[in-house]
Amino acid sequence: MKKIRGNDVILSFVCLVLGFMLSFSYQYTKDQATKRNITDRQWQKEYEYRQMLIHAQKENRKLKEELMKKQEKVRQIETSLANKKAAYVDLVKEAEQLRMYVGKVKVKGKGVEVTLADASYIPNEQNATNYIVHEQHVFAVVHELLISGAEAIAINGQRISHRSYIVCNGPVIEVDGVQHAAPFVISAIGDPNVLTSALNIAGGVKDQLVNDHVVVKIASKEEIVLEPIFRTNHD
Amino acid sequence: MWLPFIGFIIGVILGLLTDWRIPDEYSSYLSIAVLAAFDTLIGGIRAHLQNVYDENVFLTGFFFNIILAASLAFLGVHLGVDLYLAAVFAFGVRLFQNIAVIRRIWLAKWMEKRQKS
Repeated sequence: MKKIRGNDVILSFVCLVLGFMLSFSYQYTKDQATKRNITDRQWQKEYEYRQMLIHAQKENRKLKEELMKKQEKVRQIETSLANKKAAYVDLVKEAEQLRMYVGKVKVKGKGVEVTLADASYIPNEQNATNYIVHEQHVFAVVHELLISGAEAIAINGQRISHRSYIVCNGPVIEVDGVQHAAPFVISAIGDPNVLTSALNIAGGVKDQLVNDHVVVKIASKEEIVLEPIFRTNHD
Repeated sequence: MWLPFIGFIIGVILGLLTDWRIPDEYSSYLSIAVLAAFDTLIGGIRAHLQNVYDENVFLTGFFFNIILAASLAFLGVHLGVDLYLAAVFAFGVRLFQNIAVIRRIWLAKWMEKRQKS
């Protein structure tokens, strides 16, 4: 009885080990199976989803390319627009400049003011004409100023354009149909130093004027404002 | 008589309750050990039925076969030859033979019983 009992104990131990191994193995393989249990259906589904993903990615790429193209186009349009705008701005500036030169707008700047007055003392009645300011004197001054780079000139406040005329009309002179009497104030916008030195050159305009008994006064001004020409010529 | 059965049940429960897992590369060792244990058990039953059962042979066979199979698999892994397949083959063949023998013995016993009755 006792021997059989010992046998049984050993056998039961063996059975315990066997049972343990069996169940452990079973559990292990079950775990493995659940871990990589991918059926055909699942494969198929995965393939399908993958395909869809690839499709979506392709579409995405296409759209992105399109977007980039569109953006490029927009950028081009923008740059061309900016260029045009810059051109317009330039044109506007140029037009303004040209208007200033032509005399269509009010201009303001540094310049000189030359005053030509009749001689205050006339020694001889017969020679009175020798002592008054003639249009050629005004001409000389205007020319000298233009040559030396005056940007705008006015006589007694009247702007002179490139189409202006100055004629002698008895004791007065006529500028674009408007009569002016002495003294004549010729205002010119430009570099005052250049203009004054041009007028003051030895044997130049000033000397000639002084020779003709004209009283000449040259003054540099910090600011000269010239009104625009509103009326058209020859009327 | 019930003690081995109870031991088996306890072993199964213990195995189901164990939480630790062996790494993947050792799964072949486990399978071969299970196979060896099976083989030895069936062999023991056959020997018992043929009345040549020896406790010591059974016990040493049980553990020695398991260890031998495991070491063979180990050697196979390190040599790059699937030696554990040889163990699986040998054990499988023996398993079938033993089961066949057991079946024949049972069948013979049953026939004898039937003729008697």
